[in-house]
Amino acid sequence: MLLAYLPFMLYPYGFFRSGVAALWSAVFLWGTLFFFWFTRRLFPGRLLKQAFLLWLVVWGQAAWSLTGLSPFWILSVYFMTPVSFLEAEVKPGHVRVFSKDVPRYFFERAMTGIGFVFFVLAMVFVREIGEKSSRLKIFCQPAGLLFVVAGIALLWKSNFFLKFSNTKQIP
Amino acid sequence: MYPTIIALSFIMALRGTRPAALQRPIEGLRRVWRDAIDLFLTLSLILVLAAGAAALNSTRVTGVEYEFLGFSAAAYLLSRYQKKTDIFFLVATLIAFTIHGKKSDLLSGLSLAWAVSVCSGFFQTGLLGLRYRLLFSGVPASMRGWPMLCLLAGFLSVVLWSVAKLVF
Repeated sequence: MLLAYLPFMLYPYGFFRSGVAALWSAVFLWGTLFFFWFTRRLFPGRLLKQAFLLWLVVWGQAAWSLTGLSPFWILSVYFMTPVSFLEAEVKPGHVRVFSKDVPRYFFERAMTGIGFVFFVLAMVFVREIGEKSSRLKIFCQPAGLLFVVAGIALLWKSNFFLKFSNTKQIP
Repeated sequence: MYPTIIALSFIMALRGTRPAALQRPIEGLRRVWRDAIDLFLTLSLILVLAAGAAALNSTRVTGVEYEFLGFSAAAYLLSRYQKKTDIFFLVATLIAFTIHGKKSDLLSGLSLAWAVSVCSGFFQTGLLGLRYRLLFSGVPASMRGWPMLCLLAGFLSVVLWSVAKLVF
């Protein structure tokens, strides 16, 4: 997720446009996984990865030509794509969502896309506060957001939210 | 241009190269600078090809319309010839595309490509050196990995910003 966010740091957009770009990336990710999940057996093994890269590049060109969106987002999609999904032998396990059996693979990819959109929006919000409201010069360059990401990663690794909720439960 | 260099150099440092073990910093240093030179050569060739396509009447219109596709094709062939990773190919394409968008003149583009490659090399060298030093420090477990990497990248960005302001 953090690697996928790094190319999005390069977009100078505000809250709404960044959200639209992130949503497009998530939708494109789902479309890519859907397309290749059902067609991967049609490609010879050696050409499958090249086909995937060509797919990214062609859609990058299309998005640039039609909307003017710089193609940094294809790098985000590349990082969000699971490593093994191009292998024909991969078969999804199942997970129960609202009492229904959903293939785990698709559930996780759906969560990846949604989580990515919210993460991008949160970071844009932080940047807007840092740059415009607080006028911190460090947010005029990547260092500001990198420090924020470092803080988020630290909280995640130290299970801060788990410890916090456990502390609240102790009477 | 500076945010592009830092973000894409960070990605290259993490996923773009075939890294040497942190315990062998000289080998890692050699690979970083070799990749920086390879990046400059790749960018230069792409920009020269783009200038050549723009100079010919028969390819000018198509070249502008399908600019990103053309850059990707050239970057793909060059990265495969150099046996580079997919990330190298994608990063080189994006950097060449960004440079071409800012500097349509070939000489300015080549100068910018040179500056980008050198800056990327310095960033990756600094990151490698700091990670090597931290091997011998008592870093808490919760700080290891992504928190420390992002912190180091942020500090390097602040340091290089003061130099980059003169160039970009």
